[in-house]
Amino acid sequence: MRISVVLHTAGIFLRYFALTFALPVVVSLLYHEWRDAQAFAVSGVLAGAVGQLMMRARSAAAEDLTRVEGLAIVSGTWLLLAVAAALPFLASGLGVIDALFESMSGLTTTGATVIRDFSQHGHGIFFWRALTQWFGGMGVIALFVAILPRFGIAGRQLFFAEAPGPTDQPLTPRIRKTARALWLVYAGLTSAEIAALLATGMPVFDSVCHALATLAAGGFSPHPLSIGGYANPAAEWVITFFMFAAGANFALHYRTLRGETRAFLRDEEFRAYLAIVLVATVLLTACLLPSAPRTVEAVRTAAFQVLSILTTTGFASVDFQLWNDQAKMVLLTLMFIGGCAGSASGGPKVVRQVLIARYTLLELRRTLHPRGVLPVKLGGRVVPDEVMRAVLVFFLFYLLVFAVCTLVVSAFGADMMTAITASIACLGNIGPGFNAVGPMASFADLHPVSRITLTLAMWIGRLEVVTVLALVRPEVWRLVRRG
Amino acid sequence: MHIVVVGGGEIGYELTRELSVDHIVTVVDSNAEVGRRFESLDVAFIAGSGTSPDVLARAGVHGNDLLIACTGLDEVNMVACALATRLGSRRAICFVSREDFHGDGSNAQAVRSHFGIERIIWPEAQLADEMVRIIRSPGAIDAEEFAEGRIRLLEYRLDAGSPLTSAPLAALRLPRSALVVAVKRDNAIQIPRGDTRLTVNDKVFVMGTPEAMAAIAPMVHAHAASRTSQSVTIIGGGDVGFRLAQRLDDSDMEVRVIERDLRRGEILAASLRRALVIHGDGTDLELLESEGIGHSDVLVSVIDNDERNLFASLLGRQLGARRIITRVGRSANLRLFDRVGIDVALSARGAAVKSLVHDIRGGHAHLLAVLDEGQATIVELTVPAGFTPQALMDLKVPPRAIVGAIVRGQEALVPRGSDQVRPQDRLLVFVAADSVHRVRDFFGPT
Repeated sequence: MRISVVLHTAGIFLRYFALTFALPVVVSLLYHEWRDAQAFAVSGVLAGAVGQLMMRARSAAAEDLTRVEGLAIVSGTWLLLAVAAALPFLASGLGVIDALFESMSGLTTTGATVIRDFSQHGHGIFFWRALTQWFGGMGVIALFVAILPRFGIAGRQLFFAEAPGPTDQPLTPRIRKTARALWLVYAGLTSAEIAALLATGMPVFDSVCHALATLAAGGFSPHPLSIGGYANPAAEWVITFFMFAAGANFALHYRTLRGETRAFLRDEEFRAYLAIVLVATVLLTACLLPSAPRTVEAVRTAAFQVLSILTTTGFASVDFQLWNDQAKMVLLTLMFIGGCAGSASGGPKVVRQVLIARYTLLELRRTLHPRGVLPVKLGGRVVPDEVMRAVLVFFLFYLLVFAVCTLVVSAFGADMMTAITASIACLGNIGPGFNAVGPMASFADLHPVSRITLTLAMWIGRLEVVTVLALVRPEVWRLVRRG
Repeated sequence: MHIVVVGGGEIGYELTRELSVDHIVTVVDSNAEVGRRFESLDVAFIAGSGTSPDVLARAGVHGNDLLIACTGLDEVNMVACALATRLGSRRAICFVSREDFHGDGSNAQAVRSHFGIERIIWPEAQLADEMVRIIRSPGAIDAEEFAEGRIRLLEYRLDAGSPLTSAPLAALRLPRSALVVAVKRDNAIQIPRGDTRLTVNDKVFVMGTPEAMAAIAPMVHAHAASRTSQSVTIIGGGDVGFRLAQRLDDSDMEVRVIERDLRRGEILAASLRRALVIHGDGTDLELLESEGIGHSDVLVSVIDNDERNLFASLLGRQLGARRIITRVGRSANLRLFDRVGIDVALSARGAAVKSLVHDIRGGHAHLLAVLDEGQATIVELTVPAGFTPQALMDLKVPPRAIVGAIVRGQEALVPRGSDQVRPQDRLLVFVAADSVHRVRDFFGPT
């Protein structure tokens, strides 16, 4: 592994990421928050300078990347951007650990927050939280691959290392065109949601922040009570719809827009996703009905919360910490599923769960027919053994990281429900959990070690576990020494 | 007529033998050894590649009437056809063994016209389709469909206790739209009359509308299986077995395919939706027992080897499979399979060759089906435009032939003697083999 190549490439990404700091500067200026504007400007310049410095490691971009270099660039870039994005939070009064937690939570579209008192922070900070989620949702690297001309072959590798879910066919033969198409759909849907939220009477600033956080499946809200704080049923439906869209594969949105009208229904993962949403909503409605004043309200709340958790967005239209255990169990189950591959959502992804379920059922059938030829199929096509193995390995690692994380959080003083849900909420990039980390609570009360662990969990979860864990292998570090 | 046959394999030989009686035939095969087999026939043999313009020119495709390409390679056949039409052959017929070039899709048609192919014949598919028809008709040993499925023909073997043996035909009260067109007794075909009485072990041919045929099934077997969902075991996942499994996959039948080659098994399992593919040898008794093959309603053995096919079929019979359908490679083995108790024995090449030979002979008649190893056929006659309408009983149909159905536009009916025959009607005629030439020229030669 050539350290200089990794530094150089990550430096390019950091330098361009620094440009995005201009947006919150504008917002802060609009709201006459001079100190915040200053903080964003300084942070941006600092990030840009560091990026420029890192690019010095090499005179030109590498023509080709080894696999290890690709993984290191992607993992390292995400860590680096999180540090850069944490600078404004530091300036706004958060401690180092909290600032890092908040910015990682933003970039990985988790939406877990350590901010206790929302009134202490200006508009710029809330906009920055939503914006980092929006960039993280579709993938920062995908964005740069889409708009920067300099990544040829290497861009392809980076794109796939970052893409959420077992990747299927790229939409177009050229990876740049694919990345650009996906980002266009993403931006289009975001604009549509802003317009829809404005129509429901939500203020402009809040509409923009919520739209950015919805499409990214992020979940940061400028309101301390999240969506519940607006008491606006129409907005809840709008956000429910766009969360559903954000949890679906963006490639399908693209193909539908291109005139392939049946793209959604023909996709097996989407059908499974739809079925999960419907079944979970019915179950949750049944749990909520006894205490709901009206059926419509129960359905609305259930649908909103099901999609919020399943797509790993993490908005709350009510404080579901107050719900009974049956209702919470429905949500906890959804936390282990996640949205569709190729969407902005986190979690293990619907397609992986579908494949694992099929694999298990086929093993049952194999006990009856020991000589049967029983391939796992998806969409009428056979899933190759190596893909199936990767899916199983992913899920095992996922559970392993989840278990370790839970152990750490509970060892540092959290109760069992808090430890479990905080871990899965961060690893799955969901956001809120139950008890001490419920939707209206803050992660700030957890022990510092727990917060560091959860920050790492978000990072590992966003990059789909294996991308990061592969770098821990000793042979990678032997490669580093050789240069 | 001058005909060039490219490919001297099993199909090429059968075709040449049939066609060389009336026509001038030249056979082309790249293997000179093959030529020996043709020495007994009055044909010319040229050793050389069918895709070489020189060889085809020597065979005389310039201005000849027909080229039939039937080597074992689809691509060779297509190139031979394309070359022949370019060199001046009037017509070209191509045999294929894969799905790619077959079918009615616009792509397939484009391929056909590009290569100058008049007709594509896929014997394995024809065989698989016939097997599907038989499997879907419980109890039948042969099944055919005509006029887009509006008329069906089924062949049954009568067992003891069949209600059909209880009285002479006239007294049986068969459905109005069904007709017993022929009886095969002691290996001889005869057209029954009202006073004919059917007996056990007779094979009967019944023609009629689908509804009438459904009503007649329980009259054939006293204990006819009324279950619609059947379990089908297919031994051998080759071309025929694969297509068969594909056709049955969408029905409610429970389908199992036993394939010896794991790679092939994986290909099958990849494209079949519900059918279970089992990797193993169809002649492995232990496997057949552990998979409960004996409980199958139908066992289809379509291995590309007569001996192993026969062995697998007999094992299936011993284990208790209710109906055995077997593919026969060499036509000479057909009689043997029938004798040892295989319910239905079918040959892919036989049927394809017979229908092609008939079509080449032409006439008003169009051969629709070959029955019982060629002992009988279903021929379609089109009534000429200038024909004066008259009742069917006044039409002097040749002996050993019977009009089983009349197709008039979108309508198909099973006629009685008093029904009118009009110009442009299409008559579906059941004919014993020795009478075919008389029926063919019934409305005058072309």
